[in-house]
Amino acid sequence: MDINERNIKVWSAIGPRATLGMAVLDLAKDMENLMVLTCDVSTSAGLDRFRKTYPEKYVDLGIAEQNLIGVAAGLASENYNVITTTFAPFQTMRCCEQIKVNLGYMRQKVCMVGIASGLVLGNLGYTHCCIEDVGVLRSIPGLTIVSPADSLETIKAINAAIKLNSPSYIRLTGGSNNPIVYNQDYDFEIGKSILLKEGKDITIFCTGASVYQSLEAAKTLEQNNISCRVINMHTIKPIDKEAIDKATETKLIVSVEEHNVIGGLGSAISEYKSTISKAPKQLFIGINDFYSKGGNYKFLQNKHGLSSEKIVVEVINNYKKL
Amino acid sequence: MSDEKDILKKINNFAFNSRKNILEMALAAGASSSHFGGALSIVEIVSTLFSTQIRFNKDSPNSDDRNRFILSKGHACLAYYAALCEVGFIDKEELKTFEKNDSNLLGHPVLNKSIGIDFSTGSLGMGLSIGIGIAIANKKKNRNSNIYVVMGDGECNEGSVWEAAMAAPNFSLNNLYAIIDNNNFQQTGSNKEIMNSESLKEKWSSFGWETSEIDGHNVKDLFNYFENGKNINKPKALIAKTIKGKGFTFSENNNNWHHSVLTKSLYEQALSEIIIK
Amino acid sequence: MSNLEKYKNTFIKSLDIKESDFKESIQYNDVPEWDSIGHMTLISALEESFDISFETDDIVDFSSFKKGKELLEKYKVNF
Repeated sequence: MDINERNIKVWSAIGPRATLGMAVLDLAKDMENLMVLTCDVSTSAGLDRFRKTYPEKYVDLGIAEQNLIGVAAGLASENYNVITTTFAPFQTMRCCEQIKVNLGYMRQKVCMVGIASGLVLGNLGYTHCCIEDVGVLRSIPGLTIVSPADSLETIKAINAAIKLNSPSYIRLTGGSNNPIVYNQDYDFEIGKSILLKEGKDITIFCTGASVYQSLEAAKTLEQNNISCRVINMHTIKPIDKEAIDKATETKLIVSVEEHNVIGGLGSAISEYKSTISKAPKQLFIGINDFYSKGGNYKFLQNKHGLSSEKIVVEVINNYKKL
Repeated sequence: MSDEKDILKKINNFAFNSRKNILEMALAAGASSSHFGGALSIVEIVSTLFSTQIRFNKDSPNSDDRNRFILSKGHACLAYYAALCEVGFIDKEELKTFEKNDSNLLGHPVLNKSIGIDFSTGSLGMGLSIGIGIAIANKKKNRNSNIYVVMGDGECNEGSVWEAAMAAPNFSLNNLYAIIDNNNFQQTGSNKEIMNSESLKEKWSSFGWETSEIDGHNVKDLFNYFENGKNINKPKALIAKTIKGKGFTFSENNNNWHHSVLTKSLYEQALSEIIIK
Repeated sequence: MSNLEKYKNTFIKSLDIKESDFKESIQYNDVPEWDSIGHMTLISALEESFDISFETDDIVDFSSFKKGKELLEKYKVNF
């Protein structure tokens, strides 16, 4: 795929789901044994074009997520490179035990993509939002978990995950007109966080759609004389411990995620950080363990403190108290 | 006819040896007990499959044209391990390590290609889906091989079974068999008491499977069933009418033997009861 | 190049269709390339070509080459 300014703009405009469609369309050209499995979400996952171009590589299992994982595992056991996708809550929780047994226990190499995770479908209510997926899946051994920051990173994440020798989950957050974090090509490696901005007062670890918001927040914080290091933790499992080690030299660690503060990125960071003596305090920014009333994406990001403006306020309040 | 006689003799020997080995393992399990009843009900099915249909042995473990066996009702693993022993994957000494610490042979099968186990099963309702995945792969690779998934009737309570049952005919998977061990019992009681599934035959048939009902302990009927299946162009469901605990007077139709301890004296008694047909 | 030629060329290039498949009566979904993804690619390319930014309603209303001309005129692109 040509990574250039024009395409980055298009991928941002079409959003992460349609970008997923573009990514697998491109993968299929050279990957003879690629198989894409869905649960009646071809159009929602940008896969309509893929379905028409490569019908032999596409299997729709209907609205049956437990069967989806088993069939994916069966194909993977026969050396197919399998990608499954449906909406994040159904991809991860409806078939959670199948994920545990087939992907975790039997280590069948399947790459699962959870679309529209986080709050983007807030006007449909929380049955279609997903603030639990990372927390739930982290406790399954052997499963890599990646949350791309923008549409370009979505493509990179899928390309990287399909080459792993182990199962993975890619969590897509954000919608169409997905803010751009990366406006040119860059190196992406699963497990290696990316330093987006250097700083010495606080470290902001962010992931998925929260990366853009955190970068914007950092600009304002600089104007308030708080020097922020911003790190894109695209891989939540395995977590980049080295980045956390380095962060202990700053005065406050902030984790930002479009996920429950219980179980996700913040928890993963604190699990490791708590093994380090004299590590700084951590401020958890995320959804505070409750299902709010619904609303559009911007409304919910704001409500849960995940917009750049709200992040600024929260950080300043906590920084002052140090 | 003499060919058939030889084949039936082979299957019956396989079944005889399997029951003996099941006794060894159940005894080795000691106080941990074992899923004795549900293993015994599938002995003839497994014996027929492994001695006549599944071209799978230690010498050619990964041949592309091998037929596949998935024990979806994983707790019946005693019958599976016994079969793997008969075809040379597990030796008799290893059978005695059943359910011991660090053993390869646990109370549910664990994926281990070196001893011929392809999948970790035990959480009910998952095997048929895996079977579908392999069946699709086989079609894409133009292989002639079949996939045999053995399931329990209680297992058919699980919704995931019906997801798979609905899907298979949609993909024209005539290389896939769902064999339901219809012994009429599940863990804590009969199917009728716990969750009455009424006619399994009607259900599978209405989902689009070519469904048959036969005596799951009649090796001649079983053999002919699998031989004749080659010409049917739909996925195949076999409702095998079986007896839980089949083979021993104390265990037949006695649901206490779903999971129980085989004492030394019962072991001796059982040995004396095994007959070669 | 006239605006009309620029418009036509952007159409053909961004949707990646053959010139022979293009006619001025072309509508959304007439060719497989003008699906929902093709549409966003087209919009993005037009925004770049004419240095404009479409409103959401206009993106939705943009259902044909002809309609697109009308909409572009809203953004001061004269044909």
